[in-house]
Amino acid sequence: MTTTLEHATTMAQPKGGGLARHQNFATAIVAGVVLAWVGWFLGRHLFWNGSDNWSDQVTILTLLGWMLGFWIGIGAFNAPFQWLLGRDNTRADNLYYAGDKQGRMRYWKFTTDHKVVGVQYIIVTMGLLAVGGILAMAIRTELITPGTHFVNQQVYNSFIAIHGMVMILALIVAVAGPWGNFVMPIMIGARDMAFPRLNALSLWTLVSAATVLVGTLAVGGLPVGWVVLGTIANQAGPGMDFFAVAIVIFTVSTTVASVNLITTVITMRTRGMTLDRLPIFVWGTIITAALALYAFPFFFVAEANQIFDRTASTSFYVAAGGGTSWLQANLFWLMGHPEVYVILIPAVAALFEISSTMARKPVFSYRTAVGAMVVLAGLSAVVWAHHMFTAGWAPSLSGPFMVTTELISIPTGIFFLVLVGTLWRGNVWMKLPTVWMFGFIFNFIVGGVTGIYLSDVPLDEQLHGTMFVTAHFHYIFVGSVLFGAIAALAYWFPKVSGRYLNEFLGRLSFWLVFSGVQLTFGAMFLSGLKGMPRRDASYSFAFEHTNFISTIGAYMIMSGMLVLLGAVITSWRSGEPSGPNPWRANTLEWQVPTPPPLENFDVLPVITEDPYHFDETTVNA
Amino acid sequence: METSAKKSLRSFYWTWVILTAVGVGLSLWLPRRYMPAAMSNDAHLTMTTMILFSICAAPVASGVYAGALHVLRHHRYRGDGVPPPAPQIRESTKLLTSWITASAILTVFVLVWGLGALAAENGSSSSNPLVVNVTGQQWVWTFSYPGTHVVSDELYLPENREVEFRVTSLDVTHGFWLVNMGVQVDANPDVITTIHTTPDKLGVFEVRCEQFCGLNHAFMDAVGYVVTPQKFSSWLSAQPARA
Amino acid sequence: MDRSKSLGVALVSVLLGGGALALGGFVLASNTPHQKALQCIESSTHSHTCSVTLSTFPDSLEGVHGANGGPHPDWVTYSNDNVVVPANTTVNMTIDQYDTGGNVNNPFFDSVVGTNGGTAAVNGKVVTHVALGDTGHTFTLRGIPGNGKTLFVSVPLPYNFGTKFPVRLGTGTYPKPVVVKFSFTTGGPAVYEFNCEFPCGGSREGNGFGEAMQAFGYMSGTITVK
Ligand SMILES: [Cu+2]
Ligand SMILES: [Cu+2]
Ligand SMILES: [Cu+2]
Repeated sequence: MTTTLEHATTMAQPKGGGLARHQNFATAIVAGVVLAWVGWFLGRHLFWNGSDNWSDQVTILTLLGWMLGFWIGIGAFNAPFQWLLGRDNTRADNLYYAGDKQGRMRYWKFTTDHKVVGVQYIIVTMGLLAVGGILAMAIRTELITPGTHFVNQQVYNSFIAIHGMVMILALIVAVAGPWGNFVMPIMIGARDMAFPRLNALSLWTLVSAATVLVGTLAVGGLPVGWVVLGTIANQAGPGMDFFAVAIVIFTVSTTVASVNLITTVITMRTRGMTLDRLPIFVWGTIITAALALYAFPFFFVAEANQIFDRTASTSFYVAAGGGTSWLQANLFWLMGHPEVYVILIPAVAALFEISSTMARKPVFSYRTAVGAMVVLAGLSAVVWAHHMFTAGWAPSLSGPFMVTTELISIPTGIFFLVLVGTLWRGNVWMKLPTVWMFGFIFNFIVGGVTGIYLSDVPLDEQLHGTMFVTAHFHYIFVGSVLFGAIAALAYWFPKVSGRYLNEFLGRLSFWLVFSGVQLTFGAMFLSGLKGMPRRDASYSFAFEHTNFISTIGAYMIMSGMLVLLGAVITSWRSGEPSGPNPWRANTLEWQVPTPPPLENFDVLPVITEDPYHFDETTVNA
Repeated sequence: METSAKKSLRSFYWTWVILTAVGVGLSLWLPRRYMPAAMSNDAHLTMTTMILFSICAAPVASGVYAGALHVLRHHRYRGDGVPPPAPQIRESTKLLTSWITASAILTVFVLVWGLGALAAENGSSSSNPLVVNVTGQQWVWTFSYPGTHVVSDELYLPENREVEFRVTSLDVTHGFWLVNMGVQVDANPDVITTIHTTPDKLGVFEVRCEQFCGLNHAFMDAVGYVVTPQKFSSWLSAQPARA
Repeated sequence: MDRSKSLGVALVSVLLGGGALALGGFVLASNTPHQKALQCIESSTHSHTCSVTLSTFPDSLEGVHGANGGPHPDWVTYSNDNVVVPANTTVNMTIDQYDTGGNVNNPFFDSVVGTNGGTAAVNGKVVTHVALGDTGHTFTLRGIPGNGKTLFVSVPLPYNFGTKFPVRLGTGTYPKPVVVKFSFTTGGPAVYEFNCEFPCGGSREGNGFGEAMQAFGYMSGTITVK
C-alpha cells in the first residue's frame, strides 16, 4: 500500500517518461481509493458528530477525494503539470500517449487516440447497460406477481432510481461516445480530435462518475426515483450524496466532451469538407454536443444545490426554510427534456447514414433532415415544464408548454419522412444494421404517438405518473435509441474490428429483443391505462396479467441482449473478415485501412462532393 | 416495368388504408376496454380525447408502417453481394411540403382540441363548489370537509356537484390522483394546490398516489365513493367528530 | 462461423448470463428476508377468530434486529414485520407499547379508525381516541389498491409514561407496556401493509419520517391474509 501511495504522489511531478508512463486504470483506482480515504479521514475529523460515520459532509469529501485521486492516478494532470514546469510534450511523448505500439494495454490507459477512446466508450456503454439491465431484471422479477415476494419494497425502491440513471448514462454515450469519437474525426478528414487529452479526460471522468453512481447500491441505494424530487431526496441516506456527486462529475465529463466535439468539427475539417458536404452523422453529433452543453449544467446546479442543502444547511429545496422543491423540478427538467434528444439525435443521425448506404441512395432531403435536428434541439429547450403539468407549479403555463411540446411532432415526423424516403425505391441491402433500423422505425412510431397523449394536459392529468409514461419512454429509449445504437454498432463494427458482427446471432438477438419490447412495454401501456402508478413495488390484482406479460417480455429482452453480447465477443475474436469497406460506403472512415492507422491519413483527402452519390464505381470499389 | 411499379404503389395505398382501419378500430376499442370507468366530467373528456387522438394518429402511423412494409416487399435487394446503385433521388419538394403541411395541420388540430379541453377543465362552472381539504402524508391520504368536523380516510363525494380539492402534504411530495375522475395534482409540503372536478356517476372509485414518496408509496391509496347528495349529508352527520 | 456453432454461442451466452443473473437473484432474495412469520393463533372456542401480539420499542435492543440491536440499536421498531392471518377471520390484536411519544403531525391519527366497533381497549379501558399529544406510535394498516373495499385500520398506541424500567428484553430495559387491544376482520387473501404514522424516525428536516420510518422491518411490515 505504501509503495503505491508513493507511486500515486510521484505521478504529480512527472519527469518525462518514467513512472507517468506506467499509469493505467489500476493505478487510478489505487490513487482514487487512497484519496477517498484521505477525504473520509478529513471529513471525520472536521465534521464528526459522534455516531454517524457516513454523514453527508463525510460522504461528499470521500467521493471528491475519489474523483481527484482517480484523475491523478490515471494521469489526467501529467501534461498540464509538465507544461507548468516548463517542459512541453515532445512529438515522441505525444505518440506514446496516443497509444502507439502499446497493444491492448492502451485501452486501459489515459490514451489520447480518438479511436482508442471510441473503443473505451463501447466498453463503458456495455458495462453500464449490464448494470442497468441486471437491475431491470430484478425490478421485473419483483413485479411478476402482486405483493412483495422477491425483494421487499425497501430494496425495490433502492433499485429503481439507479436503474433509471445508469441506463440514461448508458444511452447518452451509446452512440455519440463510441462513434462520435471513433468515426466522426475520420469522417471529416481529421487526424484526431481538436483536444485529444480532453477526449481521454472526458472518458475517464465518465468512468469515475459511473463508479460513484453504481457505488450508490453499496450504501442503501437511492430510494427516491430517478427524478430525485427535492422533498423526498432530503429524506434519503448517503445514496443521495453519491448520486449528487456522480452527476456533478458526469456534467464535467459531458461538458468537456461536447466542447471537444464542437471544436473538432468547426476547426479540423479537411479541405473541401464544407458544411453542406458534412456526413449527416457529423451534424447529428455536433447538434447533440451543443444541446448537451446547454442542458447538463442545469443538472449540475440542481445537484450542487442538493449537496449544499445536505451539507451546509442551505434550503434551496426545503419548504420550511423558504426553498421549494419546484426549483429542483425545474432545474431537473430543464436538463431532462433536452437530455432525451441528446440521447435520441445521435441514434437518428447514425440511422440516416446507415439508410443511405444500405439503400444505395442519397439521404433524402439532407438539408431538411439537418434542419429538423436543429429545430428539435431548439424546441427541446422550451418544453421542460410538460413534465410538471400536474405539479401544481404555474398552471397558467400549461397551455404554452403544451403548444411548444406538440410542435415537436413536426420535426419528429420529418425524421420518419427522411428515413422512409431514403429507403423508398432503394436497393435495400438487408444486413444486420438494416434489420435493427426497421425495428427502430416500428418502435419509434409507438413511442412518438404515445408522447402526443402525454403532451396534452387533460390527458396527462390521467396518464402522468403511471406505467403508461414508463412504457412510452421505454419505447423511445429501448425500442428506438437502443435499436439505433445496435444498428450503429453492427454498421461500424467492421471498421473497429476488421470483422462482421455475426449476422445469424445478430438477427436472433433482434427477434428476441424486438418481440420482448412489444410484450414488455406493450403490456405496460395497458397497466398504465388501467391505472397502475409508476415505481410501485407491489400492485393491485387488477394489473396482474399485464405485469406478468411484461416480465416475460423483459426476460426475452435479456436473452436477446445476452446473445448480442455473445455475438460481439465471438465476432471480435473470430468473425468473418470484412476488409476496409464492406458496405461500399463513401464516407471517409471507409476509405482508410482497417484498423485505421494512428492519425488516420497519410495524406489528408480533399473533398469535392458530399458522400451520398452512389454509382457503379461505388459497387466495385 | 412501369405497370409493376404502379401496381406496387397501389398495394402501398391499400396497406395504408387497411392499417389505418385497424388503427381506428384499436382506437375505439382499447381505451374503452382498459381505461378505468369514467366517473366525472373530466374523465369523460379524457376518454374522448384519448380516442380522438388515437384516431388522428392512426393514418400517420399507418402511413409510415405501410411505407416501411412497401420497402421491405418491393425495394429489398435480393441478389448476392453489393446492391447496385438505386435512383439517386435527393429531394422531392412536393412530398416534403405535403408531409410538413399534413403534420402541421394535425398538430394544430390536436393543439386546438387540447387547449379547448384544458379551458373546459379549468373553467369553474359552479359558484358553490364543495371544498375538500386533502392531506397527503407518508403513506396515507386524509380528507377533511371544511365547515364540518369530519376527517376521514375515505373520500365521500356527492353526485353532480363540483368539488374543489385543496391539496397539501405534511412531509414529501405526493401525487393526488382520482383514478376514475381523470384529474391529479401534486401534494406539496407548505403549499396548497387545487383541482376541480364534477363527479357524475354513482359508485366506488380509486384514489392513488402517483408521485414516488418513499418506503410504502406502492400502498398509498384510498377508496372513494360517489353518493347521492342525501346520502352524502347523512354520511357527514354520521361521522364521529375528531380532534 | 457456421450456424450450429452460432447457435452454440447463443445458447452459452443465454445460459451463462441467465445463470449468473438467477444466482444473483437468489442471493439477493435470500439476503432480504422477512422476519420469521408470526402466525395469528386461531381460537379453539370461537370459529373464525385468531389472536396475535406485537410490540413497539423505543430502540432495537430487545433483539429483533440481532444481538445488541443490530446495525441501528437506537432505531425505534415494531417487534415483527411479517404477520400471517387467516382469511375472513376476526383478528384480535394486542400491541404492547414500550415507547414514549408526543404530537402526531396529523390529529386524525389520535383516533381509532376501522376496528370492529370503532374502538380499542387501552389497558382495559375502551377508547375511541387518545388525548392530543399523548400518542406514541400508531398501528396503521392498509391494503393493496384496487381490491374493492380496502382494509383500513388505524389505532393510536399511547404514550408510555412509565418511569421505572422493570422489563428486560435482550439488552434493553423497558417500562411496563401500555397494552392496546382491538380487533378487525379480514377479507379474502391479500397482502396488507402496516406502519406507524407518528413521526418517530430521525430525519434531516426534522419531519421524523427518515431512518426507521423508511427502513423496512422497523416501523413497518406486512400482514398477509392467507
Ligand atoms: Cu420532456
Ligand atoms: Cu406516493
Ligand atoms: Cu412510530
